[in-house]
Amino acid sequence: MEFEWNQQQKDFRATVRDFLATHLPDNWESIAHGPGSASQSDFSRQFCAQLADAGLLVPHWPERWGGRNADAWSAFILAEEMWAAGEPRGGQYMNVNWIGPTLMRYGTPAQQNRYIPPMAQGQTLWCQGFSEPEAGSDLASLRTKAERQGDHYCINGQKIWTSYAGEAETCFLLARTGAGKNGISIFLVPMDTLGITVVEIPSLIGEGDIHEVFFENVMVPASAMLGEEGQAWDIVRTALSLERVGIPRFALASRMLHRAVGTLKQHNRFHQGAVEQSARAQAACEAARLFSYEIIDQRQKGITAGPEASVARVATVNAERLVAEFVVEHLPESLAGGDPLLLAHHQRGIVAGIASGAAEIQLNLIATQLLQLPREPR
Amino acid sequence: MDFAPNSDQITLNSALDKLASKFASTPTEFRGFALVNPELAQELELGGFFDAAQIPELGPVSAAMMVERLARLPYTAEVALSMLVKAQLDRDWPRPLAVIENGRPGRFVAEAATLIILDGDKVGVISPARDAVESVDSLFAYPMGRLKKPLQYNPLPDAEAANIRKWLRIALAAEAAGLLQAALDAVTEHLTIRKQFGRPLGSFQAIHHRMAECTVLARGVRLLAIKAAWTGDAGDAAIAALHAQESAARVVYDLHQFVGAMGMTLEFPLHLWTYRLKALLSELSGRGGQAQAVAEHCFQ
Ligand SMILES: Cc1cc2nc3c(=O)[nH]c(=O)nc-3n(C[C@H](O)[C@H](O)[C@H](O)COP(=O)(O)OP(=O)(O)OC[C@H]3O[C@@H](n4cnc5c(N)ncnc54)[C@H](O)[C@@H]3O)c2cc1C
Repeated sequence: MEFEWNQQQKDFRATVRDFLATHLPDNWESIAHGPGSASQSDFSRQFCAQLADAGLLVPHWPERWGGRNADAWSAFILAEEMWAAGEPRGGQYMNVNWIGPTLMRYGTPAQQNRYIPPMAQGQTLWCQGFSEPEAGSDLASLRTKAERQGDHYCINGQKIWTSYAGEAETCFLLARTGAGKNGISIFLVPMDTLGITVVEIPSLIGEGDIHEVFFENVMVPASAMLGEEGQAWDIVRTALSLERVGIPRFALASRMLHRAVGTLKQHNRFHQGAVEQSARAQAACEAARLFSYEIIDQRQKGITAGPEASVARVATVNAERLVAEFVVEHLPESLAGGDPLLLAHHQRGIVAGIASGAAEIQLNLIATQLLQLPREPR
Repeated sequence: MDFAPNSDQITLNSALDKLASKFASTPTEFRGFALVNPELAQELELGGFFDAAQIPELGPVSAAMMVERLARLPYTAEVALSMLVKAQLDRDWPRPLAVIENGRPGRFVAEAATLIILDGDKVGVISPARDAVESVDSLFAYPMGRLKKPLQYNPLPDAEAANIRKWLRIALAAEAAGLLQAALDAVTEHLTIRKQFGRPLGSFQAIHHRMAECTVLARGVRLLAIKAAWTGDAGDAAIAALHAQESAARVVYDLHQFVGAMGMTLEFPLHLWTYRLKALLSELSGRGGQAQAVAEHCFQ
């Protein structure tokens, strides 16, 4: 066991921090508000292009696609630093983490040549069309239908909660081509295709974040399918295993906790209740950090993460919860005209236990897979 | 001991229910944070509800019950301080009332005719000039306002200050009780209707237990608040407020989990209650402040 970074990892983190210090403008706080907003998306195109130039957009990708085969630790250090800075890459983090790598593995050469280079250059935004009104936690029950018509598929249905849909060029879409789990296929669909309508959903979490996406007789060529017909479930499982620890939320939560404590101290408001709660929140952040590092350590060693990934996810949800609660209780003005960074964090933090899968589903996995408890009868 | 309302209270409660029923549904097009309707306070005023607590047969217990009942509405109005704290002030200060705690933004501050200033250990009461306050945008589902600059006030004598703090705690607990119950009701309905994995979400035992625990907490807050209003005891008030804030933190998290992404929208009205509860979480120095008061009054 060893809990120290090696020199190369320290240097890499320093490089990323230097980059952020020189490339993230002072008014970033106002742009960061609303992770899917038009201004944020525009900013991300400019920022990600600069990251790409510096070799910091896709360092963990193979050389052929603009990377340098950097290891799992580098990828995670990069993710931590970006998230802690408010995620200036916006929705492009998905390209980097799993959409690009999934296309490398399952895409046809034509799909790869069309879609991967703009990702590696930081020039394109994708959205993830999975959830539907009747298919949230139970994703396999999705109903959006893709019917083969000659050399095309005709897509009808509705997606919901789709992040970045208002700004994205392409959708990584799940649609039904048959019955059951093995009747779901993936389509790479340009968002300007005729028949697609995007409607923003007014929400607690800021401008431009979540949307409804309607598909009405949307015709896509058969070549827009990723992998084989009915292969979606397998592909998505592999794709999302790249995301298993999820976003390094603890990095921003911990930074915001320090920021809040700093403000309270400065105004002589860091009293007993605040002292205790901030300490608990800090402990939760550190636990989440270590669980996540444990998964990265396994990934680095080529071990596929098991239910430990769910442990890391739940620990991260706890950390977000305690930090958000601390700020609401001790710096409530953050939600009423106060520090915009703490407000932005609140809006991100409150979805931690829901977005990309409910915490309760992770708890079920921990109970059945880690503890090997019998399943609840269905 | 008698846990049933007396006949006067029953009459009052049913009159209030009738009034409340007009404000019971969220307008379908509403996509905001603070849902207000000035008619709610006007009708309460016309009906004499604000003064009911002064009638001996009714008393502060009735006021606490009314505050709890009205807090369940999607519409909000300054009710709790008018019903439970106003009568404790040295003279007949005009309503609406609001609290400014250590200079921070507060609920109903921008429209308040009377401001209670909590400033460290000191308490003061003033009538603010119209241009002394401003409203502020917020995620809290109350109209929030703040002072433009600190105002002068005469600190009240210690005993009076302590009495006001005590009734503020009771007001907070009574309001929280209603908010908790309304939020639970909304989520219970959602869990009954929403199906995933071929069954209602509410049929998962993982959800049963947590919903049941939330219910125990919410009902506890209600009982403690009403008892504190009856005894007027500082320890009871501190316990009620502490239990309210503890429960709020826990219940808000659980309920948002159970509604999933829908609970993040402004269409599903859960935030109307949860973001009010979040506002209450910080008041009167938060849980740490309530715990101090419990220590002082209950463990001599
Ligand atoms: C900010 C945000 C961004 C999102 N972005 C996207 C996106 O880009 N693309 C996309 O496809 N989706 C997206 N989602 C949707 C997300 O994947 C879903 O919200 C999530 O899968 C949960 O589904 P649901 O919200 O329908 O909740 P439901 O499935 O209705 O579940 C509600 C709650 O019920 C409980 N529950 C459900 N099943 C069980 C069970 N078996 N046992 C115990 N408890 C259970 C959980 O507490 C759960 O939170 C996003 C969501 C959010 C909040």
